[in-house]
Amino acid sequence: MSALLRRVMFFFRRSRHDADLREEIEAHRAHRQGALEREGLASDAAARASRRAMGNVTLAVEDVRDVWLSRAVDQLWQDIRIAVRGLRKNPGFALVAIATLALGIGANTALFSIFNGLILRPLPVRDPGRLALLLDGSWSYPIWAEIRARENDLFDGAIAWSDETFDLSRGGQSAFVNGAHVSGRFFEVLGVSAVRGRILTSADDAADAPDGPVAVISHRFWREHFGGADNAIGRQITLQRRAFTVVGVMPPGFFGVDVGRMTDVMLPFAAEPLIRGQESQLASVGSSWPDIIVRRKPEQSLEQANAALRGVQPLIRAATVSGVSPRRAARYLTEPLTLADAATGRSYLRSEFAKPLIAMIVAVGLLLLLACTNIASLLVARVVTRRRELTVRMALGGSRARLARLLFAESVIVALAGAALGLVFARWSGALLVHQLSTWESDVSLELALDWRVLGFSVAVACASAVVAAVAPTLGLRSVAAGEALKDAGRGLAGDRRFAVRGTLVIVQVAVSLILIIAAGLFLRSFASLNQLPLGFVPEPLLIAELNLQASDAPIEQRATSAERLRAAAAAVPGVRSASLSRVSLLTGGGWGVNRVAIDDAPMPVEDLSANRLWRNATSPGWFDTMGTPLIRGRDFTNADRGGAPLVTIINGAFARRYQLGEQPIGRTVRIGLSNGDRRYEIVGMVADSAYTSPRDGMMAIMYVPLAQVEPLGETVILTINAARGRRAAVEREVAAALTRTEPAIGFVFRTFDQFIAATVTQERLVAMLSSFFGGLALLLAGMGLYGIVAQATRARQAEIGLRLALGAQPRGIVRLVFHRASVLVAVGLALGLAGSLWAARFLSPLLFHVEARDPATFAAAAGVLVTAALLASWLPARRAARLDPATVLREG
Amino acid sequence: MGLTNTSSDLLPGTLELLILKSLRPGARHGYAIVEHLRVASDDVLRIGESALYPALQRLLLNGWVKAEWGTSENNRRARYYTLTAAGRRQLTAEQAEFDRMVSVIQRVLAST
Repeated sequence: MSALLRRVMFFFRRSRHDADLREEIEAHRAHRQGALEREGLASDAAARASRRAMGNVTLAVEDVRDVWLSRAVDQLWQDIRIAVRGLRKNPGFALVAIATLALGIGANTALFSIFNGLILRPLPVRDPGRLALLLDGSWSYPIWAEIRARENDLFDGAIAWSDETFDLSRGGQSAFVNGAHVSGRFFEVLGVSAVRGRILTSADDAADAPDGPVAVISHRFWREHFGGADNAIGRQITLQRRAFTVVGVMPPGFFGVDVGRMTDVMLPFAAEPLIRGQESQLASVGSSWPDIIVRRKPEQSLEQANAALRGVQPLIRAATVSGVSPRRAARYLTEPLTLADAATGRSYLRSEFAKPLIAMIVAVGLLLLLACTNIASLLVARVVTRRRELTVRMALGGSRARLARLLFAESVIVALAGAALGLVFARWSGALLVHQLSTWESDVSLELALDWRVLGFSVAVACASAVVAAVAPTLGLRSVAAGEALKDAGRGLAGDRRFAVRGTLVIVQVAVSLILIIAAGLFLRSFASLNQLPLGFVPEPLLIAELNLQASDAPIEQRATSAERLRAAAAAVPGVRSASLSRVSLLTGGGWGVNRVAIDDAPMPVEDLSANRLWRNATSPGWFDTMGTPLIRGRDFTNADRGGAPLVTIINGAFARRYQLGEQPIGRTVRIGLSNGDRRYEIVGMVADSAYTSPRDGMMAIMYVPLAQVEPLGETVILTINAARGRRAAVEREVAAALTRTEPAIGFVFRTFDQFIAATVTQERLVAMLSSFFGGLALLLAGMGLYGIVAQATRARQAEIGLRLALGAQPRGIVRLVFHRASVLVAVGLALGLAGSLWAARFLSPLLFHVEARDPATFAAAAGVLVTAALLASWLPARRAARLDPATVLREG
Repeated sequence: MGLTNTSSDLLPGTLELLILKSLRPGARHGYAIVEHLRVASDDVLRIGESALYPALQRLLLNGWVKAEWGTSENNRRARYYTLTAAGRRQLTAEQAEFDRMVSVIQRVLAST
């Protein structure tokens, strides 16, 4: 024990030991000298004799070293010290290499951690491998009730949930929180327990729950809303104007079963009638809103679970078919129910972003490869510069293996430093990327923790980078033969094999950068064209207020009058040019539609299930004026068009074209087929085309009806406000105040069309952002690589250039000489890159919008950018070469 | 001045034994140890620095001696080595072991 301890202490006091030893040996020699002098030798002769008799002191010191530290440890430590010293002498290279690797490894790790969190990581519940999702989409509550009744026969439990947003406010402007209705045994089947209070039970999911209306909250909500207080259990929160008692807090990692969404408040299904009153969907077979997951029994395979479920499907059908309309009964629940593995939960985010994410990971992998080749080429160049040092080391007895280890140590240190920095960068950039995914509709929350998968990936990437970066210079070491470099002492003349290796690296870098820059250009143009699509109305002055009429608990019949009062109050606010109501807002991705349409007395189609449904909207008089959509023919709605009056409609140009109504559609009849009978509308006006679901779906056929003729009014109505430009914030405040004064219990939330449009281009925006970052970084790397190579080549040929200058060459000629080499490399790289881009274009086409994947303008612009950067990178060392002083250069050799 | 022996001429470990023995009377610095061994062996053993100091460091590593800087007789700075209690025990043990080895070798050589 004590020997080991002494070894460790020796390690830390090495330098003092060395100094002591040298002093001791010198004292020994002095003693011997003294003894010789006493024997009669003259003092200088004694000094010489004593020194001669000393033997090999260096060897003695090394042998002493070996006593304390095993040779390998000592050498390893030496290698590290020499490597660090070498890097410190060349801080520019070290900084560039570490920063490059940090960005490359960091970007890779960030994207992989998103990939991990979204696609790979299983749910943080008990035994997630046994969970299975009932495909495809949502089910009605009665169907769930049937499955729940059989959950212990067929499976080891089943759960249902439905994503909702709940309003926390008690009046006025809404404060929404992500929530869900969950079945009573939701937490029990998943195997999650509360960190405070209790989980829900089946008793809570019944109309006569013992504890009344209860809620379970997430850890995040507990921290933010209750400050993490211990007495949060038993306190009340207001959701949708109803009081709920908090009975439990979930553990920190639990977010529900929807990956990408943090479910903050979970209420039992029994709470739904409390919130929606008369409009409760609990008993409705026609309304599909809960999703269902089952837990397979321990020995039950997926096929067995499917078989079990399909076995009882006829029974479920028989029990619920009575609520279905006769027309649909024939095909109701005839498709076999299918379960699929759900260890990783369910995620809309996943289906939307899986493909672009993989594309981005490939791109980032390419970028890291580029960074590694960059560093490799710089390291190779350094080996050339250090040729003299390395041959001296070899002459002094260093083996080639030892030197290779030395160079490898440098690369490993750079890789480790880069990886450490990269992890920090990954954390930050991962959070930034996830933040970009949130829209007005959904607040995305993804767990990006560094679990073993991400750490393992990052370590593997760092090791691979170290190997790639280190192999090249150690290969280059082979050409350093002892003695050869000492002889010609730097007068190396032009052209050598090594240049071929470095040249190839530069060509690869240039090619990869071109591909990435072209991709970035295409994505940017795609994103730009998506943002400039015509809308058919003027969004800039518009402010949307989504009014929740249900919140006030007023009877449904009174909703229309409330809405009109609110509209009038908003219109009276100073600065508001006009305010109108509509049933739905445009550009939210969905809307109110109808599938069966006929003109005049044509026969009604049986069931138009095509994707080309006819969109509808119900508007108050003056809505088109508020929106800025011009009226082309006929008239707008008036107050006379109310309930009881003849049904009228206004159509748009796309409608007229689709149903071939010709130039004069006024007076014709539109019939639509609804489940409770047909309706006839007389066309009284035509407006210009506009987008409906989203700008990229283009102008669609729309039919407008008066809002007053829609009975009953739904829960929400949209108030569109047209305000003078530049006064948006003030108008918003005053409208909020006016609305609250008019109807204190109403709930409302403000939106803008910017938010809606931004949500429709989230994917493209992300891709454009990322690819620009990658393209820019690739360009920077290629430029640095080119600069490094040209600088090294110039330095290697310094003697030749000095000679030329001494013999009368013009500086311009020198610049041209240096350029010539560089331009050959760039030209080859450009050609390769163009070929690669043309080939890769087919993979990019599905991601682009209104841009050709082989768009010549983008290709030309990208090539231009690359050539400019390459010119700049080569011009700097060329200029320095032309300014060399021939005398100094030739003297130094 | 003549040859300087390296430790390869002695049985491995013998040099440490001799150094321990020479430190038994009291503290000595490196040169004094060499001188003592030379005198005690009638000028046969001449230990060089390259053999002495590694051996001294091995003794330090195992905790059999300790070292301190001091002033020598002619006012020079020198490092003095002293036997520790463990060193004393090691000396007795190693001396006994050495005697045993020598008698074994002698027995083999005396046999036919």
